[in-house]
Amino acid sequence: MQPVMMFVAVLLPVLAGVLAMLIPFSKRKYLEIFLEGMSLLDSVLVYSLLTHRPTEAFAIVRFTGDLTLSFRIDGMGMVFGALAAALWPLAMLYAFEYMRKEKHQKLFFLFYMATYGVTLGIAFAEDLVTMYFFYELLTLVTVPLVMHTLTREAILASRKYLYYSLGGAAFGFLGMIFIIVYGISPDFVLGGSLDLAAVGNRTDLLLLIYVLAFFGFGVKAAVCPFNSWLPDAGVAPTPVTALLHAVAVVKAGAFAIIRLTYYCFGTEFLRGTWAQTVVMTVTIVTIVYGCSRAVKETHIKRRLAYSTISNLSYILFGVTIMTPAGLVGALSHMIFHAVMKICSFFCAGAVIHQSGRNYVYELDGLGRRMPKVFGIFTVSAMALTGVPGLCGFISKWNLAKAAVESDNPLAFAGVGALLVSALLTAIYMFTIVLRAFFPVGEPDPEAAQDICDPNWYMLLPLFLFVLAIVGFGLYSAPIVEFFTKISQGLF
Amino acid sequence: MNESVILMFPIVLPVLFGGAILCVPRIRSRSALLCAAGAGLILTALSVLAVLLGNADTYTLFYLTKSLPVYFRLDGIGRLFAAVMALVWLLGGVYSFSYMKHEKEEKRYFGFYLIVYGIILALAFSGNIITFYLFYELMTLFSVPLVLHKGTREAVMAGLKYLLYSLCGAYLVLFGIYFLFRFSNTLSFTWGGVLNQELIGGREPFLLFTAFLMILGFGVKAGMFPLHSWLATAHPEAPGPASAVLSGIIVKCGVLGVIRTVYYLFGAEFLRGSWVQTVWIALTLFTVFMGSMLAYREKLLKKRLAYSTVSQISYILFGLSVLDGTAMTGALLHVICHAFVKCALFLCAGAIICKTGRTRVDELKGIGKEMPVMMWCFTLCSLALIGIPPTGGFVSKWYLAVGALKSAVPVFSWLGPVVLLVSALLTAGYLLPIVSDAFFPGAEYESGSFEKKEADPYMLLPIVILTALAVAMGVLSAQIVPFLQTAAG
Amino acid sequence: MDFVCNIPFISILLSLFSGTICSVLPGRAAKWVNTAVIVSVGIMSAILLVYVNGTQESFVYMMGHFPAPWGNEIRAGVLEAGMALFFCMIMLLCMWGGRKKLDEEVEESKHNLYYILVNLILSSLLALIYTNDLFTAYVFVEINTIAACGLIMIRQIGRTLEAAVRYMIMSLVGSGLLLIGICMLYDLTGHLLMSNIQEAVAQILEEGTYTVPLVITMALMVTGLAIKSALFPFHAWLPDAYGYSTISSAAILSSLVSKGYIFLLIKIIYRVFGFSVFHDSHIINVLFVFGLAAMIFGSLSAIKESDIRRMIAFSSVAQIGYIYMGIGLGTKVGMIASIYHIIGHAAGKALLFIAVIGLTDASGFSRSFFDLDGAAYRNKIAGIGFTVGALSMVGVPMFAGFVSKLLFAQAAVNNVGKLMPTMIVLAVSTILNAIYFMKTVIRIYTPAENTEFAVIPLKREKLYGVAVVLFVILNITLGMLSQPVVDMIRSGLEMFA
Repeated sequence: MQPVMMFVAVLLPVLAGVLAMLIPFSKRKYLEIFLEGMSLLDSVLVYSLLTHRPTEAFAIVRFTGDLTLSFRIDGMGMVFGALAAALWPLAMLYAFEYMRKEKHQKLFFLFYMATYGVTLGIAFAEDLVTMYFFYELLTLVTVPLVMHTLTREAILASRKYLYYSLGGAAFGFLGMIFIIVYGISPDFVLGGSLDLAAVGNRTDLLLLIYVLAFFGFGVKAAVCPFNSWLPDAGVAPTPVTALLHAVAVVKAGAFAIIRLTYYCFGTEFLRGTWAQTVVMTVTIVTIVYGCSRAVKETHIKRRLAYSTISNLSYILFGVTIMTPAGLVGALSHMIFHAVMKICSFFCAGAVIHQSGRNYVYELDGLGRRMPKVFGIFTVSAMALTGVPGLCGFISKWNLAKAAVESDNPLAFAGVGALLVSALLTAIYMFTIVLRAFFPVGEPDPEAAQDICDPNWYMLLPLFLFVLAIVGFGLYSAPIVEFFTKISQGLF
Repeated sequence: MNESVILMFPIVLPVLFGGAILCVPRIRSRSALLCAAGAGLILTALSVLAVLLGNADTYTLFYLTKSLPVYFRLDGIGRLFAAVMALVWLLGGVYSFSYMKHEKEEKRYFGFYLIVYGIILALAFSGNIITFYLFYELMTLFSVPLVLHKGTREAVMAGLKYLLYSLCGAYLVLFGIYFLFRFSNTLSFTWGGVLNQELIGGREPFLLFTAFLMILGFGVKAGMFPLHSWLATAHPEAPGPASAVLSGIIVKCGVLGVIRTVYYLFGAEFLRGSWVQTVWIALTLFTVFMGSMLAYREKLLKKRLAYSTVSQISYILFGLSVLDGTAMTGALLHVICHAFVKCALFLCAGAIICKTGRTRVDELKGIGKEMPVMMWCFTLCSLALIGIPPTGGFVSKWYLAVGALKSAVPVFSWLGPVVLLVSALLTAGYLLPIVSDAFFPGAEYESGSFEKKEADPYMLLPIVILTALAVAMGVLSAQIVPFLQTAAG
Repeated sequence: MDFVCNIPFISILLSLFSGTICSVLPGRAAKWVNTAVIVSVGIMSAILLVYVNGTQESFVYMMGHFPAPWGNEIRAGVLEAGMALFFCMIMLLCMWGGRKKLDEEVEESKHNLYYILVNLILSSLLALIYTNDLFTAYVFVEINTIAACGLIMIRQIGRTLEAAVRYMIMSLVGSGLLLIGICMLYDLTGHLLMSNIQEAVAQILEEGTYTVPLVITMALMVTGLAIKSALFPFHAWLPDAYGYSTISSAAILSSLVSKGYIFLLIKIIYRVFGFSVFHDSHIINVLFVFGLAAMIFGSLSAIKESDIRRMIAFSSVAQIGYIYMGIGLGTKVGMIASIYHIIGHAAGKALLFIAVIGLTDASGFSRSFFDLDGAAYRNKIAGIGFTVGALSMVGVPMFAGFVSKLLFAQAAVNNVGKLMPTMIVLAVSTILNAIYFMKTVIRIYTPAENTEFAVIPLKREKLYGVAVVLFVILNITLGMLSQPVVDMIRSGLEMFA
C-alpha cells in the first residue's frame, strides 16, 4: 500500500466527524449509517494497511531541525492500530443506542470520531516526536467527551483530566528531549536508540529522566499516585468511559511507556538499574492499590475504573520486567484487557442505560431481568479474574512467566501482587454477579418489571466481545506467537 | 480421534445437561426437570463406568498456549477418585430429587449440580496441573450457586466466603505453578516429580517455599488450618445434598490437588525431610485435633459435621504428609471411606431438617423413634467414622497409623498416631451422644408422642447405600487395598 | 546600493511622520492612515526579508554623510527584517481585533491621538530593531515609553491613570539605568556605534584594564532593559497596565513593546559586547535564575488571580521568564529558542488578549473569572481563539508554544550545569500554565445556568472575527511549519556576530 494511506487512515475519521457535523441529516438513521460506514471504512483501511504494510515512512511535515511528523507501521503499531480498528466500529454502534437520549450528539460524534484518528496516529507514529504530538492531541479531543454531559461533576472531572494529562505530558516531554539529544535518531528502534557513546558517564541522569518520563506517560496509564483522574472521568457517557478510559486513552499511556522503554531507552540500558526497581515497585503498588480501591467502591463505573487502574499496571509490570517475554506479557494483556474491560464497561453501561441504576447495591436481582447482559458480564468478570480458558488467564500467564523467568526478586513479588490482585478482582467483580443473579431474600416480582435486555445495537458488540474473550482464551497461540515475534524484532 | 476420547464423555455430558437445564426455557414442569436431571446423572455415571472399564489413556483437548495443553490422562489415582465422585454425586443427586421439593429455584440447583459433576470428573482425569487448575477454578465458581442456594443474607455471605477462600487457595496454587513451570520440563503429572535439576541450579529453598504455598493453597479446599473456616460457614447454609457433596467430594478435590502436587509434580523425594514436610505434618495434626475439639463444642448438627470434616480430611492429609507408601494407602482408603460416611451423615442431617426442621443437636432427642432406619444408618456411619472395626474407618486409620510409625519422620511418627487416637475418642464424643439421645430420649419424653416421619425412599435409598458401602469397605478392604497400593506407588 | 536598502529608513520615517499627520486628521481618517502605514511597512519589510535572504548578509545603512565612527547607522539582516514584518503583522491584527472596543472605550475626540501613539510605537519599535547606534536606541526607547504610557492612559478610568504612572516610574528607572550604562560605555570606549564599541570592548578585555567597569556597565544596561520588559521581580507595573488599558493597547504592549526591549537586549549582547563576553560574565546566570523564578512565580500569581485580564497579564510575566531563561542558558540554541519565543508568545498572547475581550463582552463586561461560564457559547469565535491561545501557551503540539518549549529543552540539554533546573522548571511551569489556562477554557465552555447575557453573533463583529481567525492561523502555522522561522533566526543570529 502507498505510505500516504497511513495519513489517510488517520485523517479520515476526523474528516468524517467534521462532515457529520456539517451535513444536515434529515433523520438520525442516516447520521448513524454515515458514521458507522465511515468508521468501518477506516477500519477496513487500517486492516488492509496492516496486512500490506507500506515499507517506507510517510512524513507529513517537518517541525524543526530533523524532527518530523512521520508515520511508519511496525509490529507494536500494528497491535495498537488493530486494537483500535477492531473496537471502534463496535463502540460506535453501541454509542448510537446509548446516546439516543443525550444532547449535542453531533458534537459528541465529531470528537468520538476524531479520537479514532488520533489514536491511530499514536499507533502509526514513527518516532517519539510524532507520538508525543498525537498523545497531546488525544488529550485535547477527549476532553470534550468527558465534559459532554456538562454537569458540575463532568466539568470538574474534565478539568482534573486535563491537568493530569497535560502535566504528565510535560514530564514525558523531558524524556522526548533527551531521546532527541542523546539518541541516534528519534525513530523507534527495538532495543533502544540511545547513543551510548554520547551518554558517556551521564547514565544516572538518563535513568532519572527515564523515571520522570515513565511517570509522565504513566499519568495516562494511571500509575499510582497519578490515577485519581480516571475514576472521576467516569462521569462521561459510557461509550467514552469504555472505549477511551478503558482502552484507547489509557492504553495510549501504556503504549507510550512501551515505546519509551523498549524502543527509545532500550532494555539493555535500563535492566538491572535502580530505575527499573523504582518503576517496577510503582507498578506493583498500583496493581494492589487499584484493586483495593475497586473493592471499596460501590459505584459500578468507578469500580470498573479502579479495576482498569490495576489492570493497566499489569501491562506496565510486564513492561518493567524489561525482557522480550515481558513485552509479550504486556502486549497480550494490553489486547486482552481491552476486550475484557470494554465488555464489562459496556455491560455496566447497558445496565445504566436500561435501568438508570448506578450503584452495586441497586443491582439486586437484575440478572433475571437482563440475563444476556449479566451473563456476558459474568464471563468478563471471570476473564478479568483470570479463570483459565478465558483470555485473562493467558495474559496473566504470560506476565507471570516473564516475571518468573527474569530472575528478578522484585518481579517475584510482582507475581504475588498479580495473585493478590486476582483475588481482589474476584471480590469486586463477583459481588456484582452474585447480587445480580442471587438477590438476598425474596425478590419483589413487581419491581423492575420494565427493565429488559437492550436492543441489538448494544448486544451485538457485547456478543462479539464475549466471543473474543472465549476465543482468545481457548486459542491464543497465533496471537501470542505474533507478540513473540514483535518482541524479538521480527516485525 | 482415538478411543481415549471417551474420557470426554463424563465431562461433557453433565455440563451439556446442566447447561440445557439452565438455559432451555422449555423445561418448566418439575417432572421434566427431574427427567432431564436424572438422565444427566445416570448417563454420566454410566459413562464414568465405561471409562473405568475401558482402556482410555491420554487425550489432549487443545492448547491454551503453545506450552499449555489441556490434557487428560487416566491413572490409578484418577480412577479411584472418579469412581468415588461418580457414585457419591449420583446418590446425592437422587437424594436431591426429594429434598429439593422444599426449596425454590430447583432448576438452578440441578443445572449447577450437573455442571459441577462434569467439572469434578474432569479434575479426576486431568493430566497436567494447568488442566487441573482450570477445572479447579471452574469448580469453585460453579459450586458457589449450590452453597448460596437458599438466598438468605447468611447464605449469600457464606457463598461469598466460600468463593474467596477457595480463590485465595487457588491463587496460592497458581503462584506455585508459575514458578514450577520455570524449574521443570513439563507440567504433566508424573509419578516422582517433574523437576529438572539443571534448571533448579541451587534454588531449592525457594522451590520448597513454592511447594509449601501450593500445599497450603490446595489445603484451603481440604479445610486445612489456617484457612479452614469457610467449611463451618458454608456447610450449614447449603441445602442438605449440597453440603453432603461439598463435604464428601469437593473437599476431596483439594486432597487430590495435594496428591498431584506432592507426588506427581515435586516428587516425594524432594520434600522428604525438608522443613516443608515438618510444617505440613504439624499443620495437619493440629487441624485433626482442632477440628475434633471444635466439633465437640458445636451444638448445630451440620456445623458439628462440618468441623468433623475439617478434622477427618486432615487425617488424609496427615497420611499424605508422612510421605510413606502405607500411610498413603491409608489416606486413599480414608478418602473413600470418609466420602461415603460424611456424605451419608450430611444426608441424614438434611433429612432431619427436611422432615422436622430441627437443626440443633439437643433437639434431636428421640429422633431415633421417629426416623429409625435413617438413624440406624447414622449410627453405623458414626461408628465407621470413629473407626470401630470392621467398618472402613478402622481399616484406613489402621493403615495411617502403621504408615506413620513405619516412616522415619522424627517425633511425628509416634505423635501422629497418638493424635489420631485422641481425635478418634473425640469423634466418639461428639457423635455417639447424638445416637444415644436419639434412641434413648430419656424419661421426660413420652414414647407415644413420637410420630413416624421416616424420609421418603428417594432420600432413604442413598443414605442406605452409602452406609452399606462404608461398612462394606472394611469387610472388602482386602480387595481394595492392593489396588490402592499400586496407585500409591 | 540597492534601493531596497532604503527600506529600514523609509519605514521608520514613514511611521514617524504618519504619526504627525494623524494629529491633524479626524479619527476615521487617522484610522485608515494607520492601517495603511502598518500594511505598507509590513510589505516593505517582507520585500526586505526576501532581499536579505537572497544576499545572505546584512547591510549597514549610513544616515547622512558621515561614516562610522561619527555618523548614525542603521543595520538590517534577516532577523531584523523578519522581526519588522512580524511586528507589523501582530500590530495590524491587534488593531483590528481591538477596533470596536476602542470605539467604545475611548472618547471620539481622542481617536486620532490613539493612532498617533500607535504609529509612534511602530516607529520606535522599528528603530529599536534596525538601529546600529546605542544613543539612537536610547532615544527611541524613550519615545516608546512615552507612547506606551499614552496607550495605557487613553482609556481614562482611574486604574489606567494609576497604572500609567506606575509604568512611567518603572520605565524611567529602567531607561535611566540604560542611559547610565550607555554613558559609561561611551566613557570606556569613546563610541556609540555598536560595531565600534564591540571592537573597543575586545581591546579592553585584551588589555585587562577596565573589566570591572565593563561588567558594571553590562549589568546596568541589562537591568534597565529587564525592568522595562517586566522581568520578575520588576513586574509590579505590568498587571494593571495590561489589565485595564483598552484591549488593543494591552495586546500591543504585551506582545510587542516589551519584546522590542528584549530584542534590543539581544542585539546589545551580540553587537555591543559580543556573545562570548556576555557569556563569560556572571550576569547570564543571574538572568537565568530570574527567568526561572519568573516562570514559576508568574504562573503562581496567575493561578491566584480571579480577574481574567490580570491573569493573562501575569502569564506574560511567566512567558517573559521563558525568554530570559533561554538567554540565560548561554547557548546559541537557547538564543534561537528565546527569539522564537518572542515571536510565538507575541502571537499567542495577543490572541489571548483579543479573544478574552470577546468573552468578557459576552459576559456583561465582567472581568471576573467566575462570570465567564458559557462565554464561549455566546461568542464562539472568541472561545475558539482563547482555546488556541491557551493551548499554545501551555505548549501543546500543533501550536507555536510547543516549538519554543521544544527548542528551550533542546538548548538546555546542551548545558550540563543548568540542565536539571531548566527541565524541572519547564515541566512544572507547563503544569502551572495548564492549571490556569485549562481552568479558564473549561469554564468558558461550561454552560451557564440561567444566564441573561446575550449571544454575540459573528456577523456583528466581522473585523474582530477576521483578526481572531488570522491569529489562530498564525499560531498554527508557527506551530506546524516552524522550520523556516527557525532557519531565519539562525541565519539572522549568524549575521549579528
